[in-house]
Amino acid sequence: MTDPSTTHATFVIERHYKAAPARVFAAFADAKQKAKWFGGPAEWSAQHKLDFRVGGKETSVGGPPGGVVHKMSGEYCDIVENERIVMSYEMHLDATRISVSLGTTEIKPNGAGSTLIYTEQGAYLDGYDDAGQREEGTRELFKQLEQFLDQ
Amino acid sequence: MTITEHATFAVEREYKHAPAKVFAAWADPRAKRAWFAEGEGWEIQNFSLDFREGGAETSKFRFLKGEETFGEETWFGNDTVFNEIRPNQRIIFTYSMDRNGVRFSVSLACAEFKPAGAGTRLIFTEHAAFFEGGDGAAMREAGWRELLQKLDEHLAAAG
Repeated sequence: MTDPSTTHATFVIERHYKAAPARVFAAFADAKQKAKWFGGPAEWSAQHKLDFRVGGKETSVGGPPGGVVHKMSGEYCDIVENERIVMSYEMHLDATRISVSLGTTEIKPNGAGSTLIYTEQGAYLDGYDDAGQREEGTRELFKQLEQFLDQ
Repeated sequence: MTITEHATFAVEREYKHAPAKVFAAWADPRAKRAWFAEGEGWEIQNFSLDFREGGAETSKFRFLKGEETFGEETWFGNDTVFNEIRPNQRIIFTYSMDRNGVRFSVSLACAEFKPAGAGTRLIFTEHAAFFEGGDGAAMREAGWRELLQKLDEHLAAAG
């Protein structure tokens, strides 16, 4: 076994949505809604499970056909309706754990809409991923959330 | 309105004992309880440790100075889940803290054990989200410095 390496990093993404906080929160809380925006590219196969309560788990498994399986598995640590969601999650590529992160989503009223502030504090493991790539991927997800909310 | 404050801190410490010995003090329920949970000013109601990936550590303890500090009998709860365990090298865990049933922080913590001569360099990094009524980074870091000192005393006593 090689020596493990651990890179600690934090990034913050802020986004504004036209939808009110309750609507944005519901896109996280409701399994059917979340499955519509939370995932990889359209051509990926995907399976999503969500048990949205403190102590409840979420898994999202997908990847390009015949390619590496990307698995996200998380547990909800704190939920304040319409305001805050805190989860701890791990990412695996096939059987390799590449990160463990703490993700905090804060939703605040902003006029008739919302400001979403996502803070991820992570341990990126053994050189497989870094905060830059993760931030880019997460920004993509929040763009997909906007498209979902605009529908 | 909720309040959320994020912070990260790291504490580094050297131990005379080899990584396997230091790691064992985190893995063994009796040893972990001795340096992590037992302490002056606290009454432990329960402590359990299931040290494996996906396993939990839970503890509940009463702060004996609760009345004078918080104006009421004060119980703290710690709910830990182990995310990754690499024997003698790295432990990554997520832990949530409650005071009288109200969650006031969630943290991602990482303990790295590196050989340093005949001993071990331990690097403890915590990423925390503190909520309404949370203790904050300065107190949390001071708490961990004290715990890692207790770990040193525990290892010295165990020989």
